[in-house]
Amino acid sequence: MKMRSKKICKPSYNFALLMILLMLIVVIYLINNHFLDYTYISNVVIKNIIEMGLMALAVTLIVVTGGIDLSVGSIMILSAMAGGMVVVKVGGILGVLVAIIIGALCGLVNGLVIVKLKLSALVTTLSTMFLFRGIAKGMSAGESVYSYPITDFIGNTEIFGLQLSMLVYIVAAIILTLLLSKTITGRTLYAIGLNENAAKFSGLKVEKVLVSMYVLSGFICALAGFMYLGRFTSIKFDVANKMNLQVVTIIVLGGTSITGGIGDMRGTIIATFIIAVLNSGLTVMNIPIDVQTIINGAVLAISLIVYAILNKHRFHAKEN
Amino acid sequence: MGIESKTVKKKILTAEFYLLIFFIALLLLLVIIAGEFFSLNNVMNILNSASYLLIGAIGMNLIILTGNIDVSAGAIASVVAIFIAFVGKTGAPLYILLPVAMLVGATLSLINALFITWLKIPSMVATLATTQLFSGMLPLIVEGSVYGLPNSFTWLAFKAKIFNVIPASVLGAIVLAIIAIIFMKYSKFSKKIYAIGNDRSAARILGLHVGKIELSVFIIAGALYGVMATILATAGQRVTTTMGSGLEMTMIAAVVLGGTRISGGSGKILGTVLGVLILSIITPAMNYLGLSPDWSDTVMGAIILLSVIVGAISLVKKRHNMFDLKDKLSRENKV
Repeated sequence: MKMRSKKICKPSYNFALLMILLMLIVVIYLINNHFLDYTYISNVVIKNIIEMGLMALAVTLIVVTGGIDLSVGSIMILSAMAGGMVVVKVGGILGVLVAIIIGALCGLVNGLVIVKLKLSALVTTLSTMFLFRGIAKGMSAGESVYSYPITDFIGNTEIFGLQLSMLVYIVAAIILTLLLSKTITGRTLYAIGLNENAAKFSGLKVEKVLVSMYVLSGFICALAGFMYLGRFTSIKFDVANKMNLQVVTIIVLGGTSITGGIGDMRGTIIATFIIAVLNSGLTVMNIPIDVQTIINGAVLAISLIVYAILNKHRFHAKEN
Repeated sequence: MGIESKTVKKKILTAEFYLLIFFIALLLLLVIIAGEFFSLNNVMNILNSASYLLIGAIGMNLIILTGNIDVSAGAIASVVAIFIAFVGKTGAPLYILLPVAMLVGATLSLINALFITWLKIPSMVATLATTQLFSGMLPLIVEGSVYGLPNSFTWLAFKAKIFNVIPASVLGAIVLAIIAIIFMKYSKFSKKIYAIGNDRSAARILGLHVGKIELSVFIIAGALYGVMATILATAGQRVTTTMGSGLEMTMIAAVVLGGTRISGGSGKILGTVLGVLILSIITPAMNYLGLSPDWSDTVMGAIILLSVIVGAISLVKKRHNMFDLKDKLSRENKV
């Protein structure tokens, strides 16, 4: 019974999201015909969201387990900076390696503290958010770190007319969607989100899976860091302060329950594009950048209210 | 006898106690290495910046005790600051500004509470959405900042000093903290807050109006954010739209550092006071100790993480003790 009602409800929310996305695109297109130009879409609409979109994919896996990762932005900065600084001193491929290792290591710290010490993910990642950003700030003494050839390549190359960063996003999206919906690991994530103790006593490797998800998140943050550094040619310690919460916004808009157990990757992907279209679309419509925040907020609030009402109906249906 | 000494030990060895020790150790270190740190001017400056953080953190503490969280506090403070800047431009004195600020803060916080209690949206998510609504509202009203504010507006920061030394905001924060400590210790309402944080459904079954209590907690917290924003805004003749952004994280960090459980139901205002003091002393202290202030965020993060880890380990130990007790009880029952 419970499963059935969920199955009816879940696609319908994604469907509603998709409709919102299409509606937004149509409205913005009618106001400004240049919006759907291929170059505009690939160079502005998608490029501006790609790092956050990428991180949102990984954090969705964590939120499904009932956890949260507020430190993604800080990890991104720290790993990108570490990479950049190593390249200045040593050069070459070592920087990339260091960036990835630092990213994964940050994720490992998060994961180990959360799993082994049974600390709440919110508190842990809140404090590591300060910690990682602080390390980035101390390391760079508040200065910018500049991009290097490999990040330039990742951030600015086009292959067959497709941005390389977009390609990375698509590959990551496909892999992680499959991971969440088709593999045993994915089912384990849902099980942990619904009832961690039950999952543990059912013999699932809860701790191992959880830690690996945080490591994965750290790794993907490092990837996002390459893109960011390549795109903006420099990175400073305070650029990602807002990113931490915006990533969560995307995930919540995508219909993933913050308490865990409900949600899927498709919702997150659609939500990413809704935010992307909104941000760039409003720019096209000559609405100042500052106003976009309130519209993002309004979209999120409305979707939350709709979701809450849907949930209430479902709840009542179950009661009856 | 063993049990008695154990309970006495337990009463003293709380999270607040460790924090206090840490704080005193930090102060002693400063006395030895950098005595000039304790110049009157410097101490007052630090206390001044701690005062608004403390007032906001008390509000945040109440919210966290009910098992909720509020990431919109910074945005609320920004809105209130701009709002009273407009009111203050007409030359309104503090005794008008402060109630207006508290009212606006309480109203905005009420919106949060309605999302949470009516629509049953998790507080983390609801306040995330309202953060964007609130902070997004500001650029529509003003461009960047409100400036050229009259002397009546900045009266609190520059003129209101007791004995020409202690800023009134510091005294206000101390009074508020004492009231909060007494309130949380002796009032009936505070017991309800703890009850909700500990076990929401049990509190409901016992006949508590969970929604109403949460609503009032958010309103109180909102009013406190209003006071915080007043101190923040009146510090200068220019009020910017991003005045409070990022404050929420520092407030949550101070509360968590103070030993309040993030899932609610356990924690003390005294801990939060210590948490705020420690967090606001770190950056200036590092300056005086000759360390680069660029590392202050790192130290802050490390201290918060360490304190929660220590708290978690002691909790795990406590749980083990509880299991032992249960074991003993069940064995006794069998016998």
